[in-house]
Amino acid sequence: MTRLSPATPDPLRAQAPRDHDTSRRQFLKLLSAGAGAATATRLDAPFASAQATGPVKLGVLTIRAGVAAPVGAAGLRATEWWAERLNKGGGILGRQVQLVVEEESNPKDTVERYRKLVLQDKVEVVLGGISTGVTLALGPVAEDLGTPWLSWDGTTQKGVEETMPNPKWTFKSVDNEVEAIVAGILTPKYFKGIKTVAGIGNDYSYGHDCWESYQVVLKRYIPDVKFVLELFPKLGVTDFSSHIAAIQQSKADLLMCSFWSGDATIIMKQAAAVGLFKTMKGVFTTAGGVHDSLKKEFTPEGLLLGYNTMYFDDPKASPLLKQFVHEYKARYNEYPPYECDHAFFNAESYKVAVEKAAGAGKKWPDKAQVVKALEGLEIESLSDDFVTISPIEIVSTKQAMKPAGSKLFDWINGWKV
Amino acid sequence: MQKIFNLACGSFYALGAYVGVSAVGWYVGAGGPPALFIVPLAVAGLAVGAVGVVVERGLLRFVYDRDETFQLLMTFAIVLMMEDAIRLTWGTAPRSTAGLYLAYGQIGVLGATAPVYNLIVIAASLAIALAIGWLLTRTAFGRIIRATADNRDMAEALGVDMRRVYAKVFTLGTALGTLGGALVIPATAAMSEMGIELIVEAFAVVVIGGLG
Repeated sequence: MTRLSPATPDPLRAQAPRDHDTSRRQFLKLLSAGAGAATATRLDAPFASAQATGPVKLGVLTIRAGVAAPVGAAGLRATEWWAERLNKGGGILGRQVQLVVEEESNPKDTVERYRKLVLQDKVEVVLGGISTGVTLALGPVAEDLGTPWLSWDGTTQKGVEETMPNPKWTFKSVDNEVEAIVAGILTPKYFKGIKTVAGIGNDYSYGHDCWESYQVVLKRYIPDVKFVLELFPKLGVTDFSSHIAAIQQSKADLLMCSFWSGDATIIMKQAAAVGLFKTMKGVFTTAGGVHDSLKKEFTPEGLLLGYNTMYFDDPKASPLLKQFVHEYKARYNEYPPYECDHAFFNAESYKVAVEKAAGAGKKWPDKAQVVKALEGLEIESLSDDFVTISPIEIVSTKQAMKPAGSKLFDWINGWKV
Repeated sequence: MQKIFNLACGSFYALGAYVGVSAVGWYVGAGGPPALFIVPLAVAGLAVGAVGVVVERGLLRFVYDRDETFQLLMTFAIVLMMEDAIRLTWGTAPRSTAGLYLAYGQIGVLGATAPVYNLIVIAASLAIALAIGWLLTRTAFGRIIRATADNRDMAEALGVDMRRVYAKVFTLGTALGTLGGALVIPATAAMSEMGIELIVEAFAVVVIGGLG
């Protein structure tokens, strides 16, 4: 559906040349030269990176509607929190930051809004991008437009390896389904004698990839484990009674579930109603923000639950995380969802990269210098990675995220276990 | 009877769900016993059906004599507006009635375990079906409805006030939708796009069963 999409003017489409051999980047150069010559005002507005004064515009793409809307809201809130805090402290190299927010919806519309951010709003960087399907479509566009793009999510590993072997402008805060991998590592540690496993996930890349990653990891620890059932209900389904009946009949020792939105709570509730977890162990990766909707009436004891240190008042949290969790809870009356961590990490990475690229001269760097500075950067982020509650088990990024450029399953199969 | 393909039925379903969640939240907050939560849930679900009168009198009556495409566009517009209105009122995060679903416990049926609440909902739908059957076959209003569905012009010629009948029937249909939405919610959660899901299934029902 194309409803609600603002009619974003698209200079590329409006004036695209018939010559298909002209690459988009070449064409962009042509276009900017042509536009500059045509109107006097355009001459006064060269690429924003050349303006080293005034506020710096940062584009933010975020999901506003549907099951992922709470995730999108969380990412935006964290970015706003980052921007407010930064502006109070003087901004980046003395420039205040200004957020230009656009909606992430389907790939086609989002690509157009991405172009609008870069070409019309002239942002210095684009932050955001959650859905794997959308981010896969954005990648090539970001590369063409030559503006740094720091994606919050888009966690599927396969697509990225296939379609973008050598990204220059595109960065992601997560590279694979960290939560599924950690679930695979922790399963044998907490549950002894698991022989058969059933899996349920949403029927799209994330659900399938989580299940695949989990199986590969678990096989490393329990070579003779059997995966007896896999179910992939459509995203947005709210009645799982038939799935639960099938899981019950499979008589698996353990259920692995990669649901992350409202459906994680719903399946837990419906499973509790038929006593599923009385006979079966469970691993819920719950990558999303369901921590506010889990209730003790239906959350089974002994569940291995993917969590994040920002989901509760962690006494051992860093001062930065404590401040963030405290202020977020005060303002929105809930604990921050995981996307806050990705969004903060990305925004902060951009700031540090700009400062690094500026060097001692504090001259505002151009976009190419910024992406160069971004590579290999390490910054303090908000939260610790994957944790479980009681006992709290913290697994570091290095254990759960493949090194850049490597193949995920080759990397897992190379582990010493 | 109205020969209208009403896409907005899904929106009424979603609206009933959200109002049901709010009513139960208010009820629990006011200290009502959890075992009786189904009462405010059902009452709220039925009451919000009154929105049907507004939609029928305010919008739908203008498209009765128009081409079906107008009706589809009109009801689809209602779907979009309701979805956004729900988002504006209740936010984007799914809303649920927490653990109340389990308040009635569970029961073993032929070796399988079933939540008692599900059985209550099944019983409620049977009761509603019987009540509708009784209404259509045993009451004067039911006879008027059937006569109008059969031959609208003749019914009108015999003195049936079509505007009133349409408003009543549409409101009844809306109330069934909102009640259904409210009753389903304890077992799942209310989401702003839940109406769209239902519309697809309703479409199949209309194709098989025909407009009536």
